[in-house]
Amino acid sequence: MDITKSMATAASGMRVQSDRMRVIAENVANASSTAAGADGQPYRRQILTFREAVDEATGASVVEVAKVARDSSDFRLQYNPGHPAANEQGYVTMPNVNSLIEMTDMREAQRAYEANLNVIDAARTMMARTLDLLRRG
Amino acid sequence: MDITKLPLFETMRERLSFLTARQTVLAENVANSNTPGYEAKDVEAPDFAAIAAGEMMPGLKVTDARHIAMSPSGTGGFRVRSMAGAESTPNGNSVNLEDQMMQVSAVQMDYSTVTQLYRKALNMIRLAAGGQR
Repeated sequence: MDITKSMATAASGMRVQSDRMRVIAENVANASSTAAGADGQPYRRQILTFREAVDEATGASVVEVAKVARDSSDFRLQYNPGHPAANEQGYVTMPNVNSLIEMTDMREAQRAYEANLNVIDAARTMMARTLDLLRRG
Repeated sequence: MDITKLPLFETMRERLSFLTARQTVLAENVANSNTPGYEAKDVEAPDFAAIAAGEMMPGLKVTDARHIAMSPSGTGGFRVRSMAGAESTPNGNSVNLEDQMMQVSAVQMDYSTVTQLYRKALNMIRLAAGGQR
């Protein structure tokens, strides 16, 4: 049935948004994960991308995570000579996580999740209206 | 008598399947609100006035008893087009969540209206047939 199809689509949307939330949480949690030594690399921020797909079981058009990639932007340098990961000049390479970007991303994920939830709610109401036709009077 | 063949019921049935198809397409838009390069889509409404007047039958026209009647189901019977000219974000996505939410609630309200009309029409037939409700 078509209404269940639209529910499957919205559910896939919620799934990818929660995957996105997980990645954001990993980024925020690792915002200060430096390397153990001066020659190592700190945590590299993760980004995930989405793509359209078709669910073979229901034939519904769904959305899925295309891939989780690493952000190739530059690391930040912080002056902290006492740090174990500091180089000869006293600078520590910090992860390329920007908490402002992560927060904006999180808000967007939250908003998209709510929108999908609204779609499911609307589909559910439509289905209930159809079933109401069976009732007498 | 097949009541679903009456123009009034035919129109309402067509309207309901149109709204279902539209809901499916809107769900796809919302789910893909962050997919790069995705273009927002919408369903083109058929001419409901013509269906109500009995001038146009949805699907294939049956002119002979040996013909196979076919009515459109799902998005298959309706034309889905991408919303050209809509503003898009730098990654090529043109889904506007607020706009989609408004359309979802409009679809939901229309659907309730049509199912209520359907029930009223059924009641009228029931009244005419037996007078007992």
